[in-house]
Amino acid sequence: MENMGMDLDLYDHTDTVNELLARYGVKFGIYKNQVFKEQLFPFDAIPRVIKKNEFDFLEKGLKQRVMALNLFIKDIYSEKKIIRDKVIPEEFVYAGGGYLAECENVMPSKGIYSHISGIDLVQGKNGEWYILEDNLRVPSGASYPMIARDLCRRSSPRTFHDHHIVDNRDYAQLLRKTMDFVNTGGHSVILTPGRFNAAYFEHSYLAEKTGAHLVNGSELIVENDHLYYMDYTGKKEKVGVVYRRISDEYLDPMTFNHESVIGIPHIFDIFRKGNVALMNAPGNGVADDKGIYYFVPKMVKYYLGEEPILQNAPTYLPYYPEDMKYVLEHFDTLVMKDVAEAGGYGVVFGSSMTKKEKEDFITLLKAEPRRFIAQEVIDFMDIDIMEKGEMLPRKADLRAFVLMGEEPMVWHSGLTRFSRNPDSFIVNSSQGGEFKDTWVLSQ
Amino acid sequence: MGIISVEQTDRLYWLGRYSERVYTTIRIFSSHYDTMIDEIEESYGEYCTKMDIPNIYTSSEDFLKKYCYDEEDPNSLISNLMRAYDNAIVLREEIGSETLSYIQLAVYALNRAKVSEAPLIEMQKVLDDILAFWGIADDSISDENVRNIIKVGKRIERIDLFGRLHIDREDMLREVHRLVGRVPRTQMKYNKLGLERLNLLAEAPQLDYYGIVCQVEDII
Repeated sequence: MENMGMDLDLYDHTDTVNELLARYGVKFGIYKNQVFKEQLFPFDAIPRVIKKNEFDFLEKGLKQRVMALNLFIKDIYSEKKIIRDKVIPEEFVYAGGGYLAECENVMPSKGIYSHISGIDLVQGKNGEWYILEDNLRVPSGASYPMIARDLCRRSSPRTFHDHHIVDNRDYAQLLRKTMDFVNTGGHSVILTPGRFNAAYFEHSYLAEKTGAHLVNGSELIVENDHLYYMDYTGKKEKVGVVYRRISDEYLDPMTFNHESVIGIPHIFDIFRKGNVALMNAPGNGVADDKGIYYFVPKMVKYYLGEEPILQNAPTYLPYYPEDMKYVLEHFDTLVMKDVAEAGGYGVVFGSSMTKKEKEDFITLLKAEPRRFIAQEVIDFMDIDIMEKGEMLPRKADLRAFVLMGEEPMVWHSGLTRFSRNPDSFIVNSSQGGEFKDTWVLSQ
Repeated sequence: MGIISVEQTDRLYWLGRYSERVYTTIRIFSSHYDTMIDEIEESYGEYCTKMDIPNIYTSSEDFLKKYCYDEEDPNSLISNLMRAYDNAIVLREEIGSETLSYIQLAVYALNRAKVSEAPLIEMQKVLDDILAFWGIADDSISDENVRNIIKVGKRIERIDLFGRLHIDREDMLREVHRLVGRVPRTQMKYNKLGLERLNLLAEAPQLDYYGIVCQVEDII
């Protein structure tokens, strides 16, 4: 942060803010050795600060990207022009785990597929922002900076009085606006897999802040082609929009995974008929697959006729022989990612492999080139963190949130995650990452 | 008025019951703890009998450790508090983060008591947090049904405990009258005849404590 300086009163209140976060149950759940544990999500009070003109640029780029991604999903499940025009090889669309044949010719309410998109970015030392990943299924994380801001303002009002920082506590209003826009008529609900989900805090907090009902699958029922929420007196209330926080495969046991006990039988049928909106739409995984990521700049050009504003991290597809050649020649300088994995898993750095590991990996890469992408290791711009009263530089990413209602809306904040380990590039909360608030300056 | 599902009703009811169980048992436990300091070290046996819980403890030290902090012991204070927490944590959007936070604070206070030289001081904070929880629940939960269901859980648990502890007739009568007025306001299905019987039992000149405990468990 350039440099609002060490004089920020807020830094002295880090412990207070963390105590308040604990008080309000700001936690995430993880399974270790098959045992569920709730952990606090540690907060570092030094924010990531983004200047107004820089965020204006990001905002334009994020809107452009999410619009193109929505058009791509719509195209794939209908006309498939982008495949016919050979912009994207069809095997990348159909062989990835995200494509769902059941979604063919299904048009969601208002034609929106990705209502909430979590776009992961990093800033290189050259100041350039790079997109690392698109998350279009059930991206999480907005609630953490939202509540942290509230508690920081309580702890250090002077900081927020003295600096021009856009208030980020409007996320719930943006989300509600998004829900209301696609609502087919009825109540708004947030569907959670339950208390033992890693992001349960977020589900319950967003329900509280949006005024939506937090429900699990057993509380909803499909009858006469509509979705209902049953209350304890036996009364049924129609539901018009479901912000679902469960994966596609568990959403409807009649259509997807038959063994799912957390879904709602026949919900996909009424979604197909347009009688309920699902946020995000099923089948979005076709667009956030790590293999498809490579093609997003091409989508922007193809659908919008514009040059992409935001760049991908330099990425290679071993599927293409010329890229495979490059990857093998520069193996030690690249990071390899398994396209089927998420949450920081399936990520290996060429430089950290032993000779044997490298040989084994290359054998696998040659056998399954579609399974991996390779990326240049971006030299992230470091962000200061506070450790025992001292400021130390660490790697951090940014998850920006784009909500698609009548028009795309970029939340003027985001989740900044970092690793306290100076040698680690993995910032996921499930792997020991911590978080910061993201300040967007208003002038 | 919002919609409350069957599952949420159940959780609200048990949140009321477990929060009351922790509150009343800590108060009774505190007076026994005082006795155990320098008077009758073995009085935990009498406590178990009074509370109608199995005396599985081998010594007063074992009792103080397990009864207060052992999550594997279903009758322990921490187990009951964690059951209250388990119900509260899934009701955030019904009761609000502020209300929920007092149950979370009570959990932290009881965990601090575990490592404290003076556990009763921290347990007093657990009581303060539960009182604050009830206060803010009453003050800030806008849905009347939600408030009423929590209160019914609380009253039923209190009458049950008062019955086991052979509490004074006047105290019992007050609690039963409060319950009789509250239950119909929840819109929950309940045993009307059972509630009338409970009222008669509480108004009798000689209290049939066993009958009251059985009857109060048959209302909801």
